Amino acid sequence: MSAYSYLAEVLVDKYDVDKDKIRPEATLTDLGLDSLMVVEFLFDVEDEFNIEVPDDRAEFETLNEAATLIDELIEAKGD
Amino acid sequence: MARRVFITGLGLIAPHGEDPVSIFDRIYQGDSAVRLVRSGTADFGSDLPLATVDFTPKDRIPKTQQLFMARASQMAVVAAEGALQSSGLFREGQSVENGEMGVYMGCGLGGAEILQEGYRTYFVRQSRRGRPSTVPMIMASGPASHISMRFGLHGPTHTYSIACASSTVAIGEAFRAIRDGYLDTALSGGAEAMLNDGSIAAWERLGVLASSHMDGPEASSRPFDLERTGFVLGEGAVLLVLEAESALRERAVDPIAEIIGYGVSSDAFSLTEPHAAGQEAAMRSAITDADIEREEVQYVNAHATGTPSGDPIEIEAIKNVFEDHASNLAVSSTKSVHGHLVGASGALETAITAIALQKGRIPPTANLTHPDPYCDLDCVPGYGREAPELTVAVSNSFAFGGSNATLVLRKV
Repeated sequence: MSAYSYLAEVLVDKYDVDKDKIRPEATLTDLGLDSLMVVEFLFDVEDEFNIEVPDDRAEFETLNEAATLIDELIEAKGD
Repeated sequence: MARRVFITGLGLIAPHGEDPVSIFDRIYQGDSAVRLVRSGTADFGSDLPLATVDFTPKDRIPKTQQLFMARASQMAVVAAEGALQSSGLFREGQSVENGEMGVYMGCGLGGAEILQEGYRTYFVRQSRRGRPSTVPMIMASGPASHISMRFGLHGPTHTYSIACASSTVAIGEAFRAIRDGYLDTALSGGAEAMLNDGSIAAWERLGVLASSHMDGPEASSRPFDLERTGFVLGEGAVLLVLEAESALRERAVDPIAEIIGYGVSSDAFSLTEPHAAGQEAAMRSAITDADIEREEVQYVNAHATGTPSGDPIEIEAIKNVFEDHASNLAVSSTKSVHGHLVGASGALETAITAIALQKGRIPPTANLTHPDPYCDLDCVPGYGREAPELTVAVSNSFAFGGSNATLVLRKV
């Protein structure tokens, strides 16, 4: 599963985000996540793909930027 | 001038269920909610009599809120909604008319199961990357905070973490704040959910838990009985709506009972051993606070947990406080059927005492078949008793650490 589809799925299933609101350019704030929810969301993603998002790279804005970052980290992991 | 304070709503998530009237009826009949529960795993764990609650947040709390709430907080917000509904203060859209309402909660351990999960991640999975929300979920103040946020309550949001006396103190402090004019309305009570494996194992090592009785696990909680072996841990959340008389008049609501007195004391004696003198001081202080004669008290909902050491000390304390009148009192421990809810225990027992006054029915001490000669007061064995003249009752909570609290309630 690509990072983007996983992010979209978790946002809908776990964080109750309206499916219609999910777009590549949407920010997590636009989607109703507060700061605690954002760190918890990143934790979900790290757990799913067995990666670690370094603190200095966690400052993405949009869903698309987040997905690109996750894809890069998965690729860098090399498995 | 001191204002009168009434209980106008009850919300319960208790071992006997959620409907206050049917919960009281089952307790009145001595119907135990205690069951044998396996903790740990099949080959590493134990079977213990416990008073668990059949509760799931599904369809009751929005999914994204559930994610950041420990079980104690989940039960607390649902119980709070029930209390607001029964008082007539609940408004659709999840806010209430009186946004200045205070929240006074008791809680012992907060998110015990979340803390356990955090330690499991660190020590078992050997990972330093536990859930980021662990800290705000384990706070003992979580239930009070979630109630305030969910219903838009902007008054004081206080948590009292005083072991087994937590919610009695919470209710007492809310009572005082309303009586003294600091606020008009409060949601007050307690929440506790620590029936997770790690907590249960720790309690077992303390040697205070009841083992399963030969008549079955439901007969394991036996306050005042010679065959008692300790207490049965329970869980749950119980909320009361407390209102000043003036607020009541504006809304034309029928109160359940009146709170008229509150007393506290400290044993300054032992972490775990009870002490009669401290318990007496709390009861005397509450009776003085209520401005009544001790002879007006008819029923005591005892703290009596069913430990060999605790029950006779409370009886001794009651005898010392009431002297000749002690033999006229009905003294029962409803923990015999709902177990010991620790931080929520005082709230549950205050709610039961309020309904007892409303109905004129004294709840029993179930499983009391072989009375301890050192517990030789009228402990209402087996089944409840009709008491249409019941007017004034007392509810005791005595905590590990030596904190004692007593409330005095009156029929309306």
